[in-house]
Amino acid sequence: MADTTTQPIAQRFVGESVKRSEDVRILTGTGSYVDDIQLPGMLHAAFLRSPLAHARILSVDVSAARQLPGVVVAMTGEDVQGLLAPSAPSPGIFGPAPVKFTIVATDKVRLVGDPIAVVVAESRYLAEDALQLVEVEYDELVPVANTDQALDPTSTPIFEDLGSNVISAPTTNTFGDVAAVFAKADRVVRATLRQHRHQNVPMECRGVVADYNPDTKALTVHGSNQGVGIAKMVMSAQLGLPADKVRVLCGDICGSFGLKIGAAREEIAACALSKARGRPVRWIEDRNEHLSSSGHAREETLEAEAAVTDDGDILGLKVRMVVDTGAYPGMGGMIGSIVQGMLPGPYSLGALEFEFAAGVTNKATYVAYRGPWAAETFCRERMVDIIAKELGLDPVEVRRRNIRYQGDNPGTMITGRSLVGATARESVEKMAELVDLAAFRARQAEAREEGRYLGIGMATYIEAAPGPRGGGGMGNETMRMRLEADGTLTVFTAQMPHGQSHETTLAQVAADEFGVPFEKVRVVAGDSDQVPFGFTGGSRAATMAGGASLHTARELRQKVLDISSHLLEASADDLEIVDGRVAVKGVPVTAKPLADIVASASEPGRLPEGLDATFEVARSYDGGEGGWSGGTHCAIVEVDAETGLVAIERYFVVEDCGKMINPAVVEGQVRGGVAQGIGAVLLERSAYDDNAQFLAGTFMDYLLPTMTEVPRIEIHHLETIPLDPDVNFRGVGEGGMIVAPPTICNAIEDALAPFGVEVREQHLPPLRILELIGAID
Amino acid sequence: MTEPLDIQLVVNGSTRQAKAEPRRTLADFLREDLGLTGTHLGCEHGVCGACTVLVDGDAVRSCLMLAVQARGATVTTIEGLASDGQLNDLQLAMRDSHSFQCGFCTPGFMMQVTALLVDNPTPSEAEIRETLSGNICRCTGYESILNGVLRAAAAREAAESSH
Repeated sequence: MADTTTQPIAQRFVGESVKRSEDVRILTGTGSYVDDIQLPGMLHAAFLRSPLAHARILSVDVSAARQLPGVVVAMTGEDVQGLLAPSAPSPGIFGPAPVKFTIVATDKVRLVGDPIAVVVAESRYLAEDALQLVEVEYDELVPVANTDQALDPTSTPIFEDLGSNVISAPTTNTFGDVAAVFAKADRVVRATLRQHRHQNVPMECRGVVADYNPDTKALTVHGSNQGVGIAKMVMSAQLGLPADKVRVLCGDICGSFGLKIGAAREEIAACALSKARGRPVRWIEDRNEHLSSSGHAREETLEAEAAVTDDGDILGLKVRMVVDTGAYPGMGGMIGSIVQGMLPGPYSLGALEFEFAAGVTNKATYVAYRGPWAAETFCRERMVDIIAKELGLDPVEVRRRNIRYQGDNPGTMITGRSLVGATARESVEKMAELVDLAAFRARQAEAREEGRYLGIGMATYIEAAPGPRGGGGMGNETMRMRLEADGTLTVFTAQMPHGQSHETTLAQVAADEFGVPFEKVRVVAGDSDQVPFGFTGGSRAATMAGGASLHTARELRQKVLDISSHLLEASADDLEIVDGRVAVKGVPVTAKPLADIVASASEPGRLPEGLDATFEVARSYDGGEGGWSGGTHCAIVEVDAETGLVAIERYFVVEDCGKMINPAVVEGQVRGGVAQGIGAVLLERSAYDDNAQFLAGTFMDYLLPTMTEVPRIEIHHLETIPLDPDVNFRGVGEGGMIVAPPTICNAIEDALAPFGVEVREQHLPPLRILELIGAID
Repeated sequence: MTEPLDIQLVVNGSTRQAKAEPRRTLADFLREDLGLTGTHLGCEHGVCGACTVLVDGDAVRSCLMLAVQARGATVTTIEGLASDGQLNDLQLAMRDSHSFQCGFCTPGFMMQVTALLVDNPTPSEAEIRETLSGNICRCTGYESILNGVLRAAAAREAAESSH
């Protein structure tokens, strides 16, 4: 075994805001998104969707649609189901669903936007024309519009095989001695907090181009997906095709933010139709379909009780969480355990009681959205401010009393994980330095005299990206690298970048570690035939893929040096790779380009028999010592009591994602997350009425933050004390979106203190602000 | 009348011709019939701005305009910004500012900014925010785009003053 602990190579790219490899194609319009793919003979699919929230389907008649010139296929749900493998399970996000349903609705519709029939035609225009000719008869059922109804045993089951609408019956877990901790409390502070339904909204909707070749019996799927391997697995099972006959390709992808995982029902249908017809079938979701039926996030209620001392010590928490999972199985039923684990955050809680229940409703499916478990941060950080207010303390002081410094005994979350390396307290202190609270309070008082309502709010979080070793972690990340004949280093990543700049950041890591210029590294993603199984999500890329890149490059470098030692007649220990050349250390004249090494290695007789002369390495990485991401955000807002509008005057971020690979990329992730948090609080809501009728089907109804609402974000970086000898990059994708909503809500409540307003929900658009201050009923 | 009509226009300096039904949007015509897929469709109801192109110099939403309405017009899309394989000054400034992430909204921003900098070569930050408030980006939080526009304007001003 060769010694792989050679001197670290001087880092040239890691830590620099290297310009992105992705940008030339993006800025010249030569990217390739799924809707850009045009194949010969390609057909276009469109789905008829339910206008009703809950109804039995009595009949679907597609005969008139079939007659329209240009229409190739018009099918009901039963027709589509007949194209699938008889053994195919109803698809859940990460495997078989716990309830039965069809890809296109057959017996009943379960939400507004549920697909009922599909038309495939020579153009999307014709397919949509034909949808107008499909006749459907319904028998309307009482809709289940909220979790109160869903958890009521007399509500009509949305899935008959479930027998009720309770997908997760209430279960309680306790950590520590809850009764004893509450008995010690000077008082118990109670609040019921709500996160509203909102959604991912990538600018590119979902879509697929399915290309089945009847001669080879192989399916090529061009998708827009966070993981080609997962999509391949689902498609293979649904269509009954052997794994080697399904290839999933993804090019450029927009957003997702957790939405595009696995294979959507419409994507499965498009693949089945391509297989049935032997022609490529394209389905591109439109924005109305996307808003109504791609999936929604968050709708959650948390009843919290905090045991506190009059000095501001938070001794323990009891939280009862109820999730509205929407109709089809998504992430809603599984979110409870993550919320439970993370609820204590960096705080030294002595006990936690957590109850979780989830109900099925006639609304869009609960999907992952950037920090899906963010309810824990919202609940905890709102509670800290509510506690501070009740005790007459400053919220910063309450955080100080309850969050330890990194240098102290790090302690363990009452739910189990070590807090080693968490710098939450440091981030609170840094924030207190950045915002002069005393000066702000003076300005706030002056402004109030003039009828202007300024507020300041802060919130703190940690994120297991990946979390310290031994706490579950993130499994393995596999990577493959190959030195090409021309000296290029090809990196095959399981990540599926959709804006995160992995083509740049993984290349930075690999270039430094292997010893080639950044420009000589090519990152390959999005081809299930070439890349290892995996996905992008959970802010895993920085540590897991960054670490895999470092260790794989290190192993390949050693392999190249071992081969070179025979070619250059020098000990491998005396060789190095610098700037794409192998040389005897300190003797530049001996340098040979990597391309020459590869060429020489294949010449007969140059290498000892039996030596592995493949210039390729694949290995997996377990995250090493891991560590926490986290930080503290602070917003200064002004609320206009006449209009209810909230303006964010300043927004500060103190964050710690360990060693930054590319600071500009990190800051882009932070700002993007904060913008989504601003949208969540001030604008966005996937609204339904009391009959589960969807009310937010366009961008005139579902409002997104624009350049006029999002201020400059003032970012300060902390860097964790390294835990791992090599890999101290941490994920930073979700933090902004996790902590911005409580930050802004805390600031708004502070601004509205003169009105005695209690903010208990997360959505605070102008009308709600005016209601809260009593300006309107 | 649904018969396809001949549509001739100048796109990115070249005369292009194709047939299209009267109901076909300019966006679909550019993307599907002319193969210029750099223009993106984010909402198809005129709010997100991803499909913005220049028609006779004006920034327009190509999802809200019919192809037939562009007959005889001069259209510029994102594919028309670079020349001879070289990024133009705006593209360079946006790249240097790490302005974009996934790139889907990029064509709309690039064309809207191209029009802005013709009308107002030295826009203030407030003017940039106002002009770009009709373009939605879901990834960046906008600050990097703002910085890119300021950088492009400064670079253009510097280039002009050195002539």
